[in-house]
Amino acid sequence: MTSAATQHEILLQIRNLNKNFGGLKAIQDVSMDLPAGVITTLVGPNGAGKTTLFNLITGHLIPTSGSVHWLGKPLKGIEPWKIARMGIARTFQDLRLFSQMTVEENIMTVMERSSWLWQGGRAAAEKRVTEILEETQLADKRHERAVDLAYAERKFLSLARIMASEAKLWLLDEPASGLDPRSFERFVALLRNYAARGITICIIEHNLDIVIKLSDRVAFLDQGKLLAQGSSQDILKDPHLAAIYFGDRS
Amino acid sequence: MLAYLQNIAVLFCINAMLALTLNFIMGYAGIFSLAHAIFFGVGAYATAYIAMYGTDSLLICMAASALISALLSMALALPALRVRGEYFVAASMGLQVIGVTIFSEWKSITGGLGGMIGIPRPKLFGYVFNNDGMFLILAFVMLLIVIGITALLVRGSFGRSLMAIRDSESAAQSYGKHVNAVKTISVAVSAGLAGVAGSLYAFYMSFINVESFMLETSILLMAMVIIGGTGTLFGPVVGAALLMSLPAALTYLPFLPPSELGTIQQIIYGLAMVLLMMFRPGGLVGGRSREKSA
Repeated sequence: MTSAATQHEILLQIRNLNKNFGGLKAIQDVSMDLPAGVITTLVGPNGAGKTTLFNLITGHLIPTSGSVHWLGKPLKGIEPWKIARMGIARTFQDLRLFSQMTVEENIMTVMERSSWLWQGGRAAAEKRVTEILEETQLADKRHERAVDLAYAERKFLSLARIMASEAKLWLLDEPASGLDPRSFERFVALLRNYAARGITICIIEHNLDIVIKLSDRVAFLDQGKLLAQGSSQDILKDPHLAAIYFGDRS
Repeated sequence: MLAYLQNIAVLFCINAMLALTLNFIMGYAGIFSLAHAIFFGVGAYATAYIAMYGTDSLLICMAASALISALLSMALALPALRVRGEYFVAASMGLQVIGVTIFSEWKSITGGLGGMIGIPRPKLFGYVFNNDGMFLILAFVMLLIVIGITALLVRGSFGRSLMAIRDSESAAQSYGKHVNAVKTISVAVSAGLAGVAGSLYAFYMSFINVESFMLETSILLMAMVIIGGTGTLFGPVVGAALLMSLPAALTYLPFLPPSELGTIQQIIYGLAMVLLMMFRPGGLVGGRSREKSA
């Protein structure tokens, strides 16, 4: 467990959250907290509502009922770009990189808090871009377009963008899927490093390696319901949850 | 001969300005508009009206044209920008049709189908641009100014925001980009500068009517951008140069019957577009491959 996790300041508070799509109850009465500096992993079978939960937090979807509070402030009705500026950033399962822009531009544009012509702190921004490129080992790809990168490099660029955002809460949607073992180790080390610096991370992940190696807490979702939350060992050892996860509902 | 070349050069400058401003939204923001000729027309009619019934001051007429075009585009952009991709193309085509109808029917302002005749040449600090050579210099300076403004915008943070929105609107939002504001401002800048081109056109031609602002003009401008290179700074200028010089070049080919030149020109445009899309989708200035499959 990270040292920051002991602080227990609740950054994000979700209470009785519901989201219906017509007759489909995608999220049902979910309540959970994301404490500062804690790495929480959302696990559950496909269609459990994990990405929907992210979309509700970031304002891409509006809850049917219930509430999400960020640092005590309700997020309902706030547009996604404003929520991002409040300190919540996310990645996407399909990455959604700025494909025709270079690696450097992808990072630079995330760092720019506005679109005005004249931005202050240009030198500091460029220094930070260089740091991020080195951390993600993308320095030699600086001037390449995102669309021309290899798969693992794209994954790291997705991570580089969220590193550049200076958000306090990172919502990562299957960030490690498809990574080769070496990239995977680098990836885990990077996340650990940022968690140790006080970043709060919530990950949707199917890879149990990530769940075991990274998570401070695991939340198990199924059919829109939060079935359990606790340490990764407790959750993964529960035979009932394991049966649901692997598709055996008998 | 000199007058003929000067005429082509002035029209090239005006069309290059239009192609640059269309590329600003099309290439950098991913907003494919088929209504660019309308903002060109609004600028031209605004200048014609002000010059004929108010003042022939170049600065006042251009500023008014830019402002009216930009404000009108914002009023139209706000609802239209809610739709994306091909839906915006359809919405802009509707706007083009409405615009042409207004230009043709609002006789008290636009002169109807007959248009506006006798627009005076502009005056700048007491100098009247009666000389075509001086007008060419004016048009060229205006082209350089539009290139400068476009370069300044696309190479800075505003341009990066535009491109981010073009590549993934949801990701741009998730990193704090106010998508609607950035898109609306980009449409207003583009329409405002197209209005400046319209102002220059009205002053130069001294006669305007709806024929210059039809859907064909919007399509021709789009062709200039695509052939030159979408999302490149100088591509639209190259595209405008090619498409403006083509009709003139064809007249020098003795084996082509003069009565068929228009048709042949259309076939060449179409063929060039198809071949470019197949072999060089990034346009002449853009790269050989615009996008690698993800």
